[in-house]
Amino acid sequence: MIRIAAVGDVHVDKDVVGRYRPALDQLPDVADALLIAGDLTRHGTVEEAKCFATEFGGLGVPVVLVLGNHDHQSDQQDDVAQVLTDAGLTVLEGNSTVLHLHGHRIGVAGVKGFGGGFAGACASNFGEREMKAYVGHTEEIAATLEAALLDVADCDALVALTHYSPVPDTLVGEPLEIYPFLGCYQLGRAIDAAPTTLALHGHAHAGSERGRTPGGVPVRNVAHPVIKQAYNVYQLLSDQNLVNA
Amino acid sequence: MTNQVDLEAEIQRLLTEHGRIAEQGITVQRRDNILILGGDVESPQRRDEICRQITTHFPDVEIACDIGITRTQAPNEVEEIS
Repeated sequence: MIRIAAVGDVHVDKDVVGRYRPALDQLPDVADALLIAGDLTRHGTVEEAKCFATEFGGLGVPVVLVLGNHDHQSDQQDDVAQVLTDAGLTVLEGNSTVLHLHGHRIGVAGVKGFGGGFAGACASNFGEREMKAYVGHTEEIAATLEAALLDVADCDALVALTHYSPVPDTLVGEPLEIYPFLGCYQLGRAIDAAPTTLALHGHAHAGSERGRTPGGVPVRNVAHPVIKQAYNVYQLLSDQNLVNA
Repeated sequence: MTNQVDLEAEIQRLLTEHGRIAEQGITVQRRDNILILGGDVESPQRRDEICRQITTHFPDVEIACDIGITRTQAPNEVEEIS
């Protein structure tokens, strides 16, 4: 049995340091790792990244994360990622890592993701250069997620970690008009291309917690305003989801 | 109606793009002559700054703040994924 804690959209700055720590100090008693689904900071500055590292570093369990759109706001995402890496956190962007937990190998593939919309209301790679760049970016990111998932597909369980949503199910509660800015179907298709056990995302603060990809993979929106606690805990590797048993 | 939509759009852009706010999850709804602000933020300081900036930029708009502070307690349940 493996327990994975997850949260997203914590938007740490100086005013938040200390708020999560009491719950985080309890985390090693209830989970084997923590995954964070982007929007770690407010404006994506190095100073905010240091605040995040102070709050979420040194937990005693592996911490794996992706960046979100807020973490790109100041065009310092590379420096932000370096601060987090230096603090011992694993930053994924189109790649994967393997966690060795209680004799099991847990693969985590992560990417920020991007918008584009879902079946029946999605952007197309057509027309103006700007529109083709938008959709092309979405498709490129989804392709890197698929490749990253397949890289660790031989693990005992496989988790897809994104900021943007791979399904519309977990956007219910958000205005329908902004769905194309909250996620895209290409991420869901990438997740379904691998034997994914669980998909985690954030970004949709007013969305819903639970959904599934068209292929049946459980999806959880762990945006902090959705889960309304410091983190959720998910139990993996029950008999039903051993992918390599 | 157009003015109302424009006002709400301007407020949403202010909340997202202002350097001291950067909030995309705040709801803005009009009830009679009052704008009701909803959603959750990470600290009381952020909630207060949102109200201060709206009042500063739109002094003729009366607002009511229902913005909450997202709780950060540890969970007491585990979900089994199957």
